[in-house]
Amino acid sequence: MDELELLKKDWQKQSDSFAKKSSTDIYNMLHKKSSSIVKMLFYISIAELIFWIAINSIPLFSSQEYSDKMNSIYENAYILTWLTFLTFAVIILFVYLLFKSYKSISVTDNAKRLMESILKTRKIVKYYVAYNLILAFLSMGIGLFYASKNDPNIATKLEGIEDTQMLIYALIAFAITSAFVAVIWLFYKLLYGILTKRLNRNYNELKKLEV
Amino acid sequence: MNKELEHSFVELLEKHQNIVHKVCRLYTNNQDAHNDLFQEITIQLWKAYPKFRGDAKFSTWMYRVGLNTAITLYRKSKRRISTQDYDGVQFKIKAEEYDDTEEQQLKLLYKAVHQLNDIEKALVFLYLEDKNYKEISETLGISEVNARVKMNRVKTKLKTILNP
Repeated sequence: MDELELLKKDWQKQSDSFAKKSSTDIYNMLHKKSSSIVKMLFYISIAELIFWIAINSIPLFSSQEYSDKMNSIYENAYILTWLTFLTFAVIILFVYLLFKSYKSISVTDNAKRLMESILKTRKIVKYYVAYNLILAFLSMGIGLFYASKNDPNIATKLEGIEDTQMLIYALIAFAITSAFVAVIWLFYKLLYGILTKRLNRNYNELKKLEV
Repeated sequence: MNKELEHSFVELLEKHQNIVHKVCRLYTNNQDAHNDLFQEITIQLWKAYPKFRGDAKFSTWMYRVGLNTAITLYRKSKRRISTQDYDGVQFKIKAEEYDDTEEQQLKLLYKAVHQLNDIEKALVFLYLEDKNYKEISETLGISEVNARVKMNRVKTKLKTILNP
């Protein structure tokens, strides 16, 4: 006999072997918290939003003296205001995309579509993180450049330094900034790697079937 | 959510709970993990229940949500303490049906099925539940032809595991 037919015969008999759940058991389960991957991703994306919003909000809560200094360094008082405005516009856009994407995750879709919508949501979070890291990298660079030119303290220290030495300083600054960004990026890679390992594996398996 | 909805859901799930048990049996290795997955599937079913339309059969709908939870949504819980494995308790064949070679073969078969990957298990599960290829392909989101091809490959794979 075909192995699977033998298994099927036994499989269909095994209904009596399960420890049946009573209606009270089921009632209790309804009020327990889900520990699904979607929920985890949701919490992580909220944490990420809060984290980056907090980082971006620092200039808003800084003292007048500090912002005056920043404005003098950046030469133009409007640059920071515009940057902040842009940053929050992007945050709102991401919140909207994330919300829309979460709404589209439905457990009643077929397996492949469900996986796709989760992976798409994850991708939005990934882009958000990448955007913030690129921004952090650029603003560190621009900040250092302006500071070296316009900050009286730094400018005097840098006076009289040779070009080669200046280049070395710039390279060190670049290396430190890159390392900082790389560490954060690695952290995310690891976090999502662990979280979505199984999901990715199963999704690839399904996709392989369609080739 | 109102009490009436809750009541009708609990009643339906209690009646069809074997489907959930069977999914858990296939995707877990011990009773604690089984209960954990059972609970997660119940929560997912309940969350999706307000959108459940009567035109589909509740049981058909359960297959989809159950498998989706097992394959995609469920994260293995860390608090699980590993207790007795299924292998030792799995087969409760009645005395009159007792057949040593058949029992041995079944034992090996269940073991072999447990070695399959998540997607292959889903195929086998739907096959064992007597679902046709159209339903299998709709549940997994692949074409009917590919479901057939994959099922044949799974059969071959099981044979290889059984007769290395």
